[in-house]
Amino acid sequence: MYDLGILLQIVFWGLYAGCIYILLATGLNLIFGVMKIVNFAHGEFLMIGAYVTATIFFLTGFNPYVIILLSMLALIGIGAVVERLCFRPILGTSKLNEIFLSIGLIYVFQNGAAMIWGDEWQSIKSPYAGITVPLGSLTIPLDYIIIMGVTAAILCGLYLFLKNTKTGREMRATSQNRKGAMLVGINVERMDILSFGIGCALAAAAGTLWVVSGQVFNPYMGSIPAIKAFAIIILGGLGSIPGAIIGGLLYGIAENGAAYFLGGVWKDAISFIILIIVLVIRPTGLFGESGE
Amino acid sequence: MKYSALFIIILFIAALFVGCTQQAPVSEQPQEIKIGVIASLTGPASNVGKNMWQSAQVAADEINANGGVLFKGSKVPIRLIVGDDESTQQGGQKAATQLITSDKVDLLVGGYSSAVTSSYEQTVAEYKVPFVVTGASSPIITHRTDIDTSYIFHHCPTTDSYGMYTTTFIDQVIRSAVNKKIGAAADRPFRLGLIYQDTAFGKGVQTAVNDTITKNNLNIQLVSQQSFKMGESDFRTPLTSIKAAKPDAVYIAAFPNEGAPLISQARRDIGLNTIFLSVENNDNAQFYKDLGQYGEGSIIESRFSPYTAPAGALADSQSKFKNSYNARFGAFPDMMGASTYEGVYIAAKAVENAGTTDKATVRQALIDLNMPQVIEAMNGGTISFSKDFRESQFDLWMEQLAYNQTIGESRPTIVWPDNLKVTDFVLPDWYQPGSP
Repeated sequence: MYDLGILLQIVFWGLYAGCIYILLATGLNLIFGVMKIVNFAHGEFLMIGAYVTATIFFLTGFNPYVIILLSMLALIGIGAVVERLCFRPILGTSKLNEIFLSIGLIYVFQNGAAMIWGDEWQSIKSPYAGITVPLGSLTIPLDYIIIMGVTAAILCGLYLFLKNTKTGREMRATSQNRKGAMLVGINVERMDILSFGIGCALAAAAGTLWVVSGQVFNPYMGSIPAIKAFAIIILGGLGSIPGAIIGGLLYGIAENGAAYFLGGVWKDAISFIILIIVLVIRPTGLFGESGE
Repeated sequence: MKYSALFIIILFIAALFVGCTQQAPVSEQPQEIKIGVIASLTGPASNVGKNMWQSAQVAADEINANGGVLFKGSKVPIRLIVGDDESTQQGGQKAATQLITSDKVDLLVGGYSSAVTSSYEQTVAEYKVPFVVTGASSPIITHRTDIDTSYIFHHCPTTDSYGMYTTTFIDQVIRSAVNKKIGAAADRPFRLGLIYQDTAFGKGVQTAVNDTITKNNLNIQLVSQQSFKMGESDFRTPLTSIKAAKPDAVYIAAFPNEGAPLISQARRDIGLNTIFLSVENNDNAQFYKDLGQYGEGSIIESRFSPYTAPAGALADSQSKFKNSYNARFGAFPDMMGASTYEGVYIAAKAVENAGTTDKATVRQALIDLNMPQVIEAMNGGTISFSKDFRESQFDLWMEQLAYNQTIGESRPTIVWPDNLKVTDFVLPDWYQPGSP
C-alpha cells in the first residue's frame, strides 16, 4: 500500500531531525543531571549557536562544519557566564526561582539577539548543497550524512569524556550524588559550570547543524525546540543520556511519520501524545529510574 | 446679598460652560490626523512587518511634505503611530487596543497575517474605528459574520482572487507548455500539487484553487494537498509526499520565511525539479536572497515587486516609491509595503473627503471613495471598495524568476497576462513533468 522507498525517506528525515533534538536534549539532560536545574532558556543557546556560526560564516566564508567547533567554544564561555551570574546565586532555592529566571532569560536572549543581528530570518548555504549520495533505493544529500556523522562524533566524544577522564568521572559522580561528591572532595561548583558550558556547547552544535541544513533562523527559533527537548528528556528519563538519544530519534521519526500519515499540523502534537502515553505506562520515562 | 453672590458664582460657572461649548467647533479642526499602523515589528513576520511600517512612513512623509491632509480649506499633518502585533494574536490584540483606547487614533492601517488580524477585529468593531487592512489576505477579514466588520476595508487581493488568478494561469499557460514538452494530448489532466500553511490564509488559497477548478471545470487534478503549521522551517516530509504524487507543478501558500526554504529543500534535498508557484507576499527582497539559485524557473503571482514593474504610467510612480524607500532605509519595499503605502494615502483621502475625523463619517467616505490608483494597478485605474465586502480590486500579474549568477540571486520578469508581459513563460531545461 505504501511505497517502501518513501517510507525509508521519511525515516531518514526523522533521523536527521532526531540529530538536532538529541544534541539539544543531551545538553539539557547533562545540565539537569549535575545541577538539577530546570532551564527553559536552553533553546536560546541553540539560537545563539546558530547566529555565532552564521556570523563567522558571513565574515570568513569558512566551512560551517569547521565553524561548529568555534561556535561550541563560544557557547561554553557564554554558558559559563550565565551559570555563574544567573543560576549559581539561586541554586538550591526554589524551583520557581529557576523557572522564572530561565523564562526571563528567554526574553533577554531573544531581544539581545534581535538587537545584535536583527530579528529578520536568515539562512546560509552549505558548501555541499546539491551533492547527493546514492544509498540503496534512496538518493541522500551529502549534508544530511555529514550532519548524522557530526552528531555521532560529538556524542562519542562526550561519552569518552564522561567515561575516561577524571573530570568526566567527577561530573558523573556529582550527577549521581551531589553531597557524596562534595564529601569526597569534588569541586561541585566547578562541575556545575563545566556541565552548563558543555550543555550550551551541545545546543550550539544543534544550532549550527540546523542552519547548515538549510533551515531559516531568527531570534525566536529556540522556543519550540526547547519545549521538545524537555519532552524528550522526560520521555527518555531525567538525567539519562541514552534516554535522550533514544527519545530524540523517536521524536524525530514520530514527527515526520505523523506529518506524512496524518498531515503537517500533527507534527508537534504527536510528540506530546507519545510523551503522555509513555508517562502513563512508565512514569519515570524509558530509561529513568524511580527516585530520579 | 448672600443670594446675589451665589447667583453671580452660578452665572460665572455657567459662562465657563458656555465658553467651553462655544469652543467646540474650534476643536473640530484637529492639530493632526492620527493614523495607527499595525505591523509585525517583531516575531517571525518582522521582515514583512517592518516593510509595511517603513512604507507607511514614506507615504506620511510625502503627504506632510505637501502640507498634510486638506481639511476644510487648510492642511493638517499626519502623525503615524505604530502598533507591534509581535506576529501573534495576543500581540495584535494588545497593539489594536493600545492604538484605539490610549493613542486614540482616527483610523487604522496595516494588519498582516489573517490569523493575527482577525484576532483583533472584534476590538476594531467594538470601537468602530475605520481600518484599512493592507496585509491580511483571507476573505474572512470582511466576510465574517460573527462580528460587525462594517468599519473594515480590505486593500489587498484576497486568497479568493489570487488563488483563482494563479489557477487560471496554470490552466492557460503552464498546462499547454508541459503538454508540448512531453508531447501529450491536449486533454491530458494537469497534475497539481498544493502545499499550504494551516491557517485562514493557507486554507483560503486551498479553497480558491479547488473552487476555481470545480467552477470552471478545469482539466487540473490536485494530486497532493499537504499542510504545515505557521512558522515551519522543515518541509522535507510533506515535499516527499508531493514528489511521490508526481506533480507537474506545485502551488505554495506560504509566507516568505517559509516559501524560500520550502523551494530550496524541494530542489536541493528532495530533487523535486518542477515549477513552484508562490503567493504574492513572497515578492520580497529577502525571499530572493534566501532562494538563491533555487528560484530559477519558479513563478510568483504579484502586483508589486522590488525588482520589476509593468511597463506604463505606473512604472514611474513605483520607481519613485522604491527610490524614496531605498534612500531612507537602504533596502527595497515589498508588496505588503506597497499596499500599506497606499493605505496611508487612502486614509488621508478619506479624512479629506469626510472633512472631519468623526469615525462614522470617515467610514462613509471610505465606502464612497473613488481615487486614482497610486502605485499599484487597480481595476479601472481607480481605488474604490466593493459595496458588498468592501474590497478593492487589483490587476495582478505572474512573474517568472531567472537566476543571475553575478548577483547570486534570481530576478523576476512578467510573463502573464499578455497586456503586461515582457517575455513568455518557459519550462526550464531541468524541468521534470509528472506522470505522462
